Amino acid sequence: MTLLAQTLIFGLLTGGVYALMSSGFTLTFGVMRVINLAHGALLIVAAFFTWWLWDRTGIDPLLLGLGLTVVMYGIGWVLYKTVIARVQRIDPELTLVASFGVAVAASGVLSLIWGTEARAATPSYFNTSISLGEIVIPRAQLYACVGAVLLLAALYALLRGTFVGRSIRACATSRNGAALVGIDVERTMAQMFAIGAATTAFGGAALAVLYQFVPDSHYVWIGRVLCIVVLGGFGSFAGAAAGAVILGIGEALTAAYWDTRWTTAVPYLLIIAILILRPQGLFGARHRLEGATT
Amino acid sequence: MVAAAALALTAAACGADGGGGESGAASKEPLVIGMSLPLTGPVADRAKPGLEGYRYWVDEINRKGGMLGRQVKLKVLDDGFDQRTAISDYTKLIGQDKVDLILGTFSSDLNLAVAPIAERYKYVYVEPSGGADEIFERNPKYLFFAQPATTQKLPKQFVEMLKRAPADQRPKTVAFVTVDDPNTTQLEEILKRDLGALGIRTVLSSTYAQDATNFDAIVNRVKRANPDLVVSGAVAQDGINVVRSMQKLRFSPKMLYQVNAPTDPAYADGIGEGATEGILTYLGWSAEADYPGNREFVAGYRKQFGAEPSEDAANSYTAGQVLAKAVGEVGKLDQPAIAKWLHANTVETIVGPLRWDAAGRSQGEMLLAQFQDGKLRVIGPPSAATTEKVIYDKPSW
Repeated sequence: MTLLAQTLIFGLLTGGVYALMSSGFTLTFGVMRVINLAHGALLIVAAFFTWWLWDRTGIDPLLLGLGLTVVMYGIGWVLYKTVIARVQRIDPELTLVASFGVAVAASGVLSLIWGTEARAATPSYFNTSISLGEIVIPRAQLYACVGAVLLLAALYALLRGTFVGRSIRACATSRNGAALVGIDVERTMAQMFAIGAATTAFGGAALAVLYQFVPDSHYVWIGRVLCIVVLGGFGSFAGAAAGAVILGIGEALTAAYWDTRWTTAVPYLLIIAILILRPQGLFGARHRLEGATT
Repeated sequence: MVAAAALALTAAACGADGGGGESGAASKEPLVIGMSLPLTGPVADRAKPGLEGYRYWVDEINRKGGMLGRQVKLKVLDDGFDQRTAISDYTKLIGQDKVDLILGTFSSDLNLAVAPIAERYKYVYVEPSGGADEIFERNPKYLFFAQPATTQKLPKQFVEMLKRAPADQRPKTVAFVTVDDPNTTQLEEILKRDLGALGIRTVLSSTYAQDATNFDAIVNRVKRANPDLVVSGAVAQDGINVVRSMQKLRFSPKMLYQVNAPTDPAYADGIGEGATEGILTYLGWSAEADYPGNREFVAGYRKQFGAEPSEDAANSYTAGQVLAKAVGEVGKLDQPAIAKWLHANTVETIVGPLRWDAAGRSQGEMLLAQFQDGKLRVIGPPSAATTEKVIYDKPSW
């Protein structure tokens, strides 16, 4: 029983962080129909910024992650204006290739600046935990998960309660309709992409504290993000959260009860099952096609 | 990745220069040595010093007039720690680029794939890493291992230490946490057998995939098994993550024997300064060893790269030493003759004198080392020990 409780706690704590990491990616797709393969690289960029600033200043890396949200928003905005928007005008599907190119370039630049050594931010609590009887809750995981959930709630509130959020949702439903009621679609798109990038700030900071990373760790993370999003349904905010928790718990259960060797295969097994049983994902809706923009 | 591309470009440019030369100038063309290293991917942090060890060796040999009177150039490709890429890289280097010589890559996983390619093309293949027995089982004639001993004998000194340990200090139970790699899985089999013979019972054996990132659930199994001794068969960063998870889960075994990760330059940073005390590992090379050329290597490397040489750097330097010696003795680029010479002779290197059996297994011994006061000290064999102190009861994290 303790083992099950402990395993579920591991799964939930990991899942919370996965959820934030995937939220930006799934929103960018849901609203803009852009599969941003540079999302993993943005996470790693944020992780490097966090590690570097933490190393220099000693400020708590997770707090740095909150501060970096603004920086990553800016990077996202620039990336949209210089690459994504231009490519999308030529052929929307090219954004897939372009964003992958950005990811590869980013990893090269990171290794030129910081080298290929494995990095990790190790604040005083990185290897400590809270004990509840026989159950242990790793502090770093707990803080990262709580932060991620709060940010997800803030993001949800932003989408639901503000004009920017309503514009974004309007564009997601119908770009032409949104334009007709006076929404600046181009600006909203840039904001959406930048918000998607901003979510990688805390996600990357959590990554820097919880895992070791090197410049091309982005392959692992974009793989995981894709799994979560396919699982939950492309474009669905709730789906990303559910997919992340299922994946987190699935990995932990496999390691605890089955065979540690199979842990990394779990995401792919889940995806195969989902594609057969419910191709649109758990929370995905079959999207209505709109002639002009798809 | 960019760095690798730049290297490849430089090397390609050199190749182009050579192509235009007149036949009379042929002997002045640089001698090209090809290799493909996992410069990106999960073991990139180890391949970097590995490449620097090769670079240091080349610079040194060029200062001394080169090989066979020709300057030496490296042609380095990046395989991203992928077996298929490594195979196609070496096939390309030998078959298409027609490099003069090749040198080996890192990890048993990659060398298992590459050694048969060298064998097929009859190219002498001195590997700085890759001691798993699987690699030598096909009785290769062109393969030579540049560390003192293969995996077969890797844990010998650790077992000897346990034999010497006072009965009340000897662990009674052991758990294995092993990455899925030919070297580490073989290590686990050997230790299960040898520790079993000492009456140390295996309470858990768990293997994880090379791309695993979440170690908490894996390590939680170890914690529940509560062994006295944990044997962590790691390849690189994964070992750091295993220790970090143990710390998080407040599980501090009385004894921890971990391979490969503790010699990673990022190790102490990764698990926290002060947490290294008492951790045991094997060493194929020691900066303090008195073998000819070792002091010069350590000092020269420090000067050139501004960092202490890692074991991987020393291993690639050794591979270079072995190849250079054999080519020099044979006096021409005759691969079968070079292989024959190596099978018949002993080469003095910075890891000690190396000689090989018919399949290329080196016949020396690995050292056993332990972190004491933040530094790795050799504790076995007693003849090579740099300290007499042995910590049997690792301080708790």
